[in-house]
Amino acid sequence: MRRKRRGVQLLGALFGVLLIATACSSDNNKNNAAAGSSSAPEVPKGGTLIIGAEQEPDCMDWIGTCSGSSWGYWMAAVQTMPRAFDVVKDSSGNYVYKPSILLKGEPKLETSPKQKVTYEIADDAVWSDGEPITSTDFKYTWDQIANGTDVYDKTGYQDIESVDDSNPKVAVVTFKTNYQDWKGLFTGNYGIFPAHILQGQDRDAAMKDGYKFSGGPWIIDSWTKTDNITLVPNPKYWGPKPNLDKVIFKFQPDTSAEFTAFKSDQVSMIYPQPQLDAVDQINAGLPNTQKVISVDTGNFEALWMNMGKPPFDDEAVRKAVAFAIDRGAIVERLFGGLGVHEPLQFLNARVVKQYADENAFAQYKKDLSQVDKLLTGAGYTKGSDGFYAKNGQKLSILVRTTAGNKRRELTEQILQQQLKDAGIDMQIENAKAGDLFGELAPLGDFNAAIYAQVLTTLGPSTCNLFCSNNASPIGQKGGNNYTRTNIPELDTVLHQMDGELDDAKLMDEGKQAERIKADHVISLPIDPLPNILLWSNKVVGPIDDNGILGPFWNMNLWGVTS
Amino acid sequence: MLTYSLRRVLYSIPVLLIASFVLFAGVRATFDPTARLAQSRDPQVQIRERERLGLNDPLVVQYGNWLKNAVHGDFGQSATSREDVSKMISRAMGNTLQLIIIGAVVSVFIAIGIGVFSAVRQYSILDYLFTGLSYIGVAMPPFWFGLLAIEFFVVQHRWFLSVGLHTGDSSGFDLDYLKHLVLPVATLCVQIIASWSRYQRASMLDALSADYVRTARAKGVPRWKVVFKHALRNALIPFVTVVALDFGALFGGLIITETIFSIGGMGRLFYNAILVGDVYVVQAWMILVAVIIILFNLCADLIYGILDPRIRLA
Repeated sequence: MRRKRRGVQLLGALFGVLLIATACSSDNNKNNAAAGSSSAPEVPKGGTLIIGAEQEPDCMDWIGTCSGSSWGYWMAAVQTMPRAFDVVKDSSGNYVYKPSILLKGEPKLETSPKQKVTYEIADDAVWSDGEPITSTDFKYTWDQIANGTDVYDKTGYQDIESVDDSNPKVAVVTFKTNYQDWKGLFTGNYGIFPAHILQGQDRDAAMKDGYKFSGGPWIIDSWTKTDNITLVPNPKYWGPKPNLDKVIFKFQPDTSAEFTAFKSDQVSMIYPQPQLDAVDQINAGLPNTQKVISVDTGNFEALWMNMGKPPFDDEAVRKAVAFAIDRGAIVERLFGGLGVHEPLQFLNARVVKQYADENAFAQYKKDLSQVDKLLTGAGYTKGSDGFYAKNGQKLSILVRTTAGNKRRELTEQILQQQLKDAGIDMQIENAKAGDLFGELAPLGDFNAAIYAQVLTTLGPSTCNLFCSNNASPIGQKGGNNYTRTNIPELDTVLHQMDGELDDAKLMDEGKQAERIKADHVISLPIDPLPNILLWSNKVVGPIDDNGILGPFWNMNLWGVTS
Repeated sequence: MLTYSLRRVLYSIPVLLIASFVLFAGVRATFDPTARLAQSRDPQVQIRERERLGLNDPLVVQYGNWLKNAVHGDFGQSATSREDVSKMISRAMGNTLQLIIIGAVVSVFIAIGIGVFSAVRQYSILDYLFTGLSYIGVAMPPFWFGLLAIEFFVVQHRWFLSVGLHTGDSSGFDLDYLKHLVLPVATLCVQIIASWSRYQRASMLDALSADYVRTARAKGVPRWKVVFKHALRNALIPFVTVVALDFGALFGGLIITETIFSIGGMGRLFYNAILVGDVYVVQAWMILVAVIIILFNLCADLIYGILDPRIRLA
């Protein structure tokens, strides 16, 4: 009997253990499941986020010539001005335009007899004062840009013939000629302006020191000049309302001060330029920090070669320089610490890489035998000093870049050594940015220059940079074709791209254009200037860089933990 | 004294006019305010901007237009931000004044204290210590000290703050403000205390070796009275001159401190304006700083006369 009772007790205990084990096991699974599904922490509501800003905008009249500041655009314009399209990454990792919540869907594009785009505005799209966003706002925006005198960039808007606002919720935009980057209009640097507030007013006076209207998730609460811009949620926003109570952009023009503020938790996020001291700071280690280093940016740096005068008027010399330089070594030295190792292999920004042959310039690797073959074939001979010469004249190139930019100055020094090894003399004469872009480059007073181009829309055409009609003779200003590129087949393709409305054809034309650029080595791409975004662990949400809209474009979805 | 003051002010006006024209011409010849637009896709934007800013007019016409408005107190608008120059200057001045006034007051008291002590206790251990520290202070670049101070006091110990004058978008005179003020003021004070204390020590030594001091001591006047009532008063005369001159120069010379601590003061305003050729801002800045220096020089002369009744300004 005692044995039987003990057996029952044992069974009971075993059963109890089994019960407990089952309970614990199911809890663990739930936790594991929960952990698996909540790999992104829940975004809390409330709180203030302070972000370090390297640059203060000159003004907030986004149309005027006082605008043009990238930081101003990222901090304020993107947050408050409604736009027709967002710029997002598709499943292939390419940046594409996607209709924003301002629109009901993809606008209707008609190509015949003229290019005509019909935008249907969302019924619930309203300004912060409750007034609906209408087609009249589209018309007002176009008129201000196309017909104004104080305008930063009229490109594209001048190609619009009319904007029909007879239906308040439908804007019909008719073009004079085909304009490829139509999605960049009413999107890019400007967005859409409120006609009911600004009509009849001096728009510049009303906006330049900040404004209280908004068609985005945020409103500008204050702009304390030289100190900060503060944003608060727009209560009338018809999209996802911000989780944060407030976002403050604190101006810090000095890189080391910026990192100090970040390390001491005075700011929780910074977006530093990829200068050498920034790279050193990151490599030294930043505790409790997350980062994104992106090469798919709107920026790219190149060695721009002046084809308008010797020696780069000779294609053989340009190709020789391309084979003399180890671009991979340069990129490794500049950005290797950030995990960026590959040079750029096409002459455009990586935000439009789907419109380029990404390996167009890959053939140009360091090959001194090719250098010799090309230069010898062009009539150069190597002298006893180790440099090539022709007709008693040493092959020497004058390179300029922006004085004080340590990264570019280092690039010059590496280039100088590499070219010297290849038998090409390189002289350096740098200038202030104002002089370089205001005088020297426009006048063609350089052989080669190192600087960056920045794309602000997803329009891939580089006709403004390389079409011969945008070049002026050496010694005269006019047009942005500072390299004096004049290649008829390239002109044809680039002009075609400017008016190409078929995206598949545009991709083919873009690839063709890059191959022509590479075949003639009109200039030499060096690096895809990466974007660096650093943020404290207490900032949560879908944080990522955006090569066109900037990293703060979806700030309404972020939050801060305590 | 009034006649003297008026004469000094009147002599300054032609100097200011000539200086303003030279500066205007120099900035226009050197910097192009439309250069930042060169990389815009729109090739016409620079042409439009030149027209808007009147840059196609002859230099003399441009200067004349500016002068005509300036004499009425209108210094125009910034070429880049379109903001009234007067507003920009007064904001920058406000930020710089906070640093200078507090820094100068602290520095004066500390420098006088060190100078008097070092002179009275000449060749003592503390005198040698203060002398050594002064040389280090004079030799040390302010940016180096500032960055070290930030690393130690802000990053490692979080005792003070280093971004602007307030946290976030707050304002007002509170503990947060003081925590922001300590390090930039300390950075400013280090160099000027070092040099002012040397001046004070030297002039105090001169005063203490004078006959009247020896007479006072011989007549049994208490030591503290000899030092503070007789010697110090005379020793302050050259010290006041140095302080007045340096004080005026500080208004435009804090660019490094302002950059490190992200304070939008007069130094940064001038530097940023010069870089983009914002000539109206540069002109107004120059005139204001010149007037301040003239006024402080005048104050130094007047105080000189007050401190030393033997001096009468004709």
